Amino acid sequence: MNLPGGGGGPAARAAAGPPVRPHALEAGRNGAATPGYRHPGAADTLGGHDRPSRDGGVARWEPLRMSVTPVLDLRGIDKSFGSVKVLHDVAFSAYPGEVTALVGDNGAGKTTLVKCIGGIHPFDSGEYRFDGAPARVGSPRDAAALGIEIVHQDLALCENLDIVQNLFLGRERRRGLMLDEAGMEELARGTLAGLSVRTIGSVRQRISTLSGGQRQTVAIARAVLWDSKVVILDEPAAALGVVQTQQVLELVRRLADKGLAVVLISHNMNDVFAVSDRIAALYLGRMAAQVRTSDVTHRQIVELITAGVSGDLGLRR
Amino acid sequence: MMRAGPAPEEIRRHNLGTLLRFVHLRGPASRARLAESLGLNRSTIMALTSDLTAAGLVREELPRGPGRRAGRPSLVVRPESTRVYVLAFDVGVDRLVVARVGLGGVVLDRREAARSRDADPSDLVGTLAAGARSLVRKADRGAVCVGAALAFPGTVRRSDDAIMFGPNLDVGDVHLGDALSRRLGLGIPVSVRNDANLGALAEHERGAGVGCDNLIYLHGDVGVGGGIIVGGRLLGGDEGFGGEIGHMVVNPGGRPCACGARGCLEAEVGERTLLDLAGREAAPGQSGRDAVRGVVDAADRGDIVAREALHRVGNRLGLGVANLVNVFNPGMVVFGGTLRDIYLGSAAQVRSVLATNALAAPRERVKLRTTELGDDTTLVGAAEFAFAEVLADPVQVLTRLRTPEDTPVS
Ligand SMILES: Nc1ncnc2c1ncn2[C@@H]1O[C@H](COP(=O)(O)OP(=O)(O)OP(=O)(O)O)[C@@H](O)[C@H]1O
Ligand SMILES: [Mg+2]
Ligand SMILES: [Zn+2]
Repeated sequence: MNLPGGGGGPAARAAAGPPVRPHALEAGRNGAATPGYRHPGAADTLGGHDRPSRDGGVARWEPLRMSVTPVLDLRGIDKSFGSVKVLHDVAFSAYPGEVTALVGDNGAGKTTLVKCIGGIHPFDSGEYRFDGAPARVGSPRDAAALGIEIVHQDLALCENLDIVQNLFLGRERRRGLMLDEAGMEELARGTLAGLSVRTIGSVRQRISTLSGGQRQTVAIARAVLWDSKVVILDEPAAALGVVQTQQVLELVRRLADKGLAVVLISHNMNDVFAVSDRIAALYLGRMAAQVRTSDVTHRQIVELITAGVSGDLGLRR
Repeated sequence: MMRAGPAPEEIRRHNLGTLLRFVHLRGPASRARLAESLGLNRSTIMALTSDLTAAGLVREELPRGPGRRAGRPSLVVRPESTRVYVLAFDVGVDRLVVARVGLGGVVLDRREAARSRDADPSDLVGTLAAGARSLVRKADRGAVCVGAALAFPGTVRRSDDAIMFGPNLDVGDVHLGDALSRRLGLGIPVSVRNDANLGALAEHERGAGVGCDNLIYLHGDVGVGGGIIVGGRLLGGDEGFGGEIGHMVVNPGGRPCACGARGCLEAEVGERTLLDLAGREAAPGQSGRDAVRGVVDAADRGDIVAREALHRVGNRLGLGVANLVNVFNPGMVVFGGTLRDIYLGSAAQVRSVLATNALAAPRERVKLRTTELGDDTTLVGAAEFAFAEVLADPVQVLTRLRTPEDTPVS
């Protein structure tokens, strides 16, 4: 028996989620080949494009794609500390389902931009849009309310508290007057499992007993637990060894694949190219370019970082 | 035989298989969810569930965990993980793994053994069989083994599971599947398939590629293997040898490959080349994978030679991926085994080469991902392959296996 692949039995129409379908391989030795069904609407990814791609200076037509609205969209951001202007007319967007790498030399303004996004620094002028609508973010609380979670360069976790307490810090669940310890523990475990985190033994371990990578994981899990829409990680791998860095990168990728907009600040070009969909390069406080990673080379990004221009990409002089 | 449509028993078999596959791959589900997901009405779901329950394949019970809501909770259909299992064998150059994997994909138990590269090929079957037998002994009473499959790093013929070529692991003249099946004495054949092909299957069904029907899996061990899924099906080619991406030439006239050609992807990015370029060799007793990780680690710490080695390997890997992207337009390319480490350590090169060598249209949307199954990708693939038969015809297979004396095993 070998039913044609295009058929589709009565049970073939899956309502939601990825299709469950017969084996991709021919059946085992004694079995007949299983019929293959087609499933309409195989997973389609988000992907928008706002500029023509330029390879070696040759502009070409891009295929028509559904444009996706950025969840976070900043324009014309200026920021000074006293008389020192740190951000000049910066535009920056982050898209759901994508990792946007924010790169730039030391002092280029990456952390400052992130702190403006997170409501820690007020910016002097510019437009802040969230989910397509103008937003006012005057404090970290405002940013959290929108669903923006930032994992700072200097991780803000409480050393003397355990993982569960850190995940729920300031947002504890209660049952009547009591803390709902069992419920929080269950949620903490579920969140870590949902991120395929296998490196943490007990959720009742104190933060002080965790490695750098495990701490990073807890900080990221906090973002997921609170149903964030945008997660920003400021150099999450800076102090980590290779094994932990790999795990954090894979976690970052998984977050975006779950539909979050992730912003990753990194100086490591392998990390940037390994997981990003877009790269935004800051040069001396100006946004030199925001490009799709699939359109650029390592060399172009290095030039954008160090000179602000690369071929016809980057700042006009 | 002429027929207008499938016979009722064919439809029933198909539906039983589909329902079982759903809970096997997606986990326990309520009847309501099954009805909705499979497009069948509740009474059909009930009938199918009771058939599967009678066969000992699923069980209905209250949902577990403290998160229950008020009101009458609906029963969930759960695969009988501890009672229905397969044996999965993963034969690596440095490592042998045997696992007992329950319906639902749970690794119930496993045995691992390090393998030395100059090991006598005749030891292989004995080691694997001993591991498997100790797993079977520990299974629940009444548990039934419904299949067995072995992942092998070499070219395997589909029609008879014969290993045609395995330059990195010599098995001598034995027919691995038959020999193992005989030693196990469970009355179950042991299928043999190419490890990277099985890895592709695993990533597609349980890993990074769930929902992605056009996927390429690249597996690094000593050599480089590949598995290509097109339209939801593995590309086996005429005889099952398809997907040997490791022998795609990426550097004409380049390094000699164990296959006799020069400049194959395997020869340009495989373990030996990376170690050679990095001026290292595996320490005695160290597995190839650890040696590769050592290079990635050294590069990360700033070792210039290691960096340069990864750089060159990354460029060649990028070339290979660019060719694949142009030819197959995959939705996803997944890197597993040592290629996970190599990709993460040389992604800037891999993607730069991709940007300059792949056509824009198929390049734009291709997702490059690392395995979500860790070091178990090929093992999980073997388990999934071993489950294929029971998932295709659950009740019949179970009936046959539970009464082995009635039906002689071929
Ligand atoms: N609170 C502050 N007061 C005054 N100047 C500041 C303040 N914070 C940052 N700066 C200055 O703003 C500039 C940008 O700093 P920022 O920390 O944003 O850089 P960065 O891109 O994150 O660099 P790095 O890669 O080193 O983290 C620097 O010149 C810095 O000295
Ligand atoms: Mg900074
Ligand atoms: Zn070759």
